[in-house]
Amino acid sequence: MKKDKVKIGIYELTGCAGDALLILDCEKELIDIFSAADIQSFAMAKSDNIDGPLDIALVEGSVTTEREIEEIKDIRQRAKIVVAIGLCATVGGIQGRYKPHSVWEADYKSVYGETEMTHTKPIQSQPIDAYIEVDYYLPGCPIGKDQFLNFFTRMLGGNPPEKYPQPVCVSCKHNENDCLLTKGEFCLGPLTADGCGAICINHNLPCVGCWGPIEGANYTSEYHLLKEKGFDPEFIKKKLANFSGTKIGKLIESIEKERP
Amino acid sequence: MRIVKLHKSNLMSFLEEISQESELWAPVKKYEDKHIFKNIEDFDQIDLDYTRTILPPKKLLFPPSFRMYEATPKKFHADFSHISKKTLFGVHPCDIHGLLIMEQFFKQSYEDPYFSEARKNLTIIGHSCWPDEHCLCRSTQTHIVEEGYDLFFTDLDKNYLVWIGSSHGDDLIQLKPDIFDEDVTEKDIQQFMRWREERDKAFQSEIQFEAMPDLMELKLGDSVWEELGEACLACGSCTSVCPTCNCYNVRDNPVLGKEASDITRCWDACTLENYSAVAGGENFREKKSDRLKLWYTHKLQAFISKYGKPACVGCGRCVATCPVDINIKTVAQSLQGEKVDAFWRRLNQEVTQ
Ligand code: SF4
Ligand code: SF4
Ligand code: SF4
Ligand code: SF4
Repeated sequence: MKKDKVKIGIYELTGCAGDALLILDCEKELIDIFSAADIQSFAMAKSDNIDGPLDIALVEGSVTTEREIEEIKDIRQRAKIVVAIGLCATVGGIQGRYKPHSVWEADYKSVYGETEMTHTKPIQSQPIDAYIEVDYYLPGCPIGKDQFLNFFTRMLGGNPPEKYPQPVCVSCKHNENDCLLTKGEFCLGPLTADGCGAICINHNLPCVGCWGPIEGANYTSEYHLLKEKGFDPEFIKKKLANFSGTKIGKLIESIEKERP
Repeated sequence: MRIVKLHKSNLMSFLEEISQESELWAPVKKYEDKHIFKNIEDFDQIDLDYTRTILPPKKLLFPPSFRMYEATPKKFHADFSHISKKTLFGVHPCDIHGLLIMEQFFKQSYEDPYFSEARKNLTIIGHSCWPDEHCLCRSTQTHIVEEGYDLFFTDLDKNYLVWIGSSHGDDLIQLKPDIFDEDVTEKDIQQFMRWREERDKAFQSEIQFEAMPDLMELKLGDSVWEELGEACLACGSCTSVCPTCNCYNVRDNPVLGKEASDITRCWDACTLENYSAVAGGENFREKKSDRLKLWYTHKLQAFISKYGKPACVGCGRCVATCPVDINIKTVAQSLQGEKVDAFWRRLNQEVTQ
């Protein structure tokens, strides 16, 4: 393998491995991917993995054990650029759903009791930027093929990836869907990053927010709107929190008191 | 301008004739109460009993996303492959005015080749309509058309009166001259006048657009903008559906394994947060209230000062679309000091309680 190729490592922490699988599923482009870059580590795809210096590390999954804290710190230390890929790495994922720490502890106890963990100590799940600095974020649950290939090609050329600042409503309207929210359904499109092309609404299902929140998402207005449409406040808060990760969760707790 | 008559039973054969020459696009029912303009494969799909489509006809001239060119470091190839010969049948007057405003924009100082090429390839056949509770086109004076179409069909019971608006429109008539009747009778004219009068009376919404530039100026510092900004979801829907919104973004999509990049143009919206973001991480309209102010200044003030008419054609799409009821009607009502029944107002009352 030539020396001057961009050295890339693809890593999985706690998650469903959907993002790594998505990369592997780019069947038509796999040869191009592997010949354009020097893939040093990719546990799902190969066994001769090297944990050396990297130009770019792609990290999927959230940090859920003490060992993963060490792992992510090691990756950061070896890589010039770290990219969080997928919902779990970017905002925490379903396992990183916001909960006060005391509630998490109680939940943990009720599931595992006093069982002693010998392998590594489990901790409350967090997105990777709770422990290290992240250079770029690639949202998605999982990330999309076109999105990944676009990102990958840009990075190879030394260009930063596109951001995903627009809500799902943008693609939804471009596809001329009937707005489910105005019809009184529970749609989180206005709060959610658009990268899926509004695939759920295209199939007449409301958006549950799986791509995670956009910056500046107006939780307060959406919350009151859903309340006015007859949804129960506790139900709304739970659904809002599902894919919103650790950071936005606090806002949901205080949504009724706070002004936007 | 010439007016001829067509018996309704001959409409489909006329459209079939047209579809031999170009793609035929017409309103089709997509949902129980919502229509879209669609490329017609089956003539039975055409449904003229509609008020407004979800997206306006701008999507035919300027699709939500298309490839402008393929670029390599040394050269680029313009790509016009998304453009084809199309006939759009069933366009209402407000949308014809919307297309005229679009044309004015894309041709003003630098002629946009993509728009012009698509426009050259588009035949516009208008159709009369009946207002619902959201239609505002009488207030904007866009409820009737004098230009901007090749043919215009007015539905009078058994017949259509057909206005011929261009020489191309005349050519279309010549495709099947025997089905068109040159003899428009006094009875037809009387029927048309009655229809016009009744339609004028059917409008349920009204806005004083003449007063808007001054009201906008006087109320730019009003607290209503903050109130609107707090409710706005920044979803961009109002902008996507508005027939006179024309902003776009240009994206660079490199192709793996090739030196080339696909440069695509896609709709952008000033109501979205990233619209006013610039290099260096600055955003000069970060606040939703500022973005809404911009939108409404464009519709209700700036365009009027420049062109003497509002950049709103009264189609009512923003009224039917915005999830939190921020639309030309409620905003104008509020500027006029009238009572407003809208979620954005109720939200403000609830949160400040
Ligand atoms: S259906 Fe959902 S995603 Fe689509 S426009 Fe309405 S709120 Fe937005
Ligand atoms: S839940 Fe929302 S973000 Fe996720 S795929 Fe469906 S529409 Fe897209
Ligand atoms: S502002 Fe609203 S009513 Fe006016 S043209 Fe735009 S969408 Fe139609
Ligand atoms: S005004 Fe309404 S439709 Fe427009 S961006 Fe705001 S919430 Fe969306």
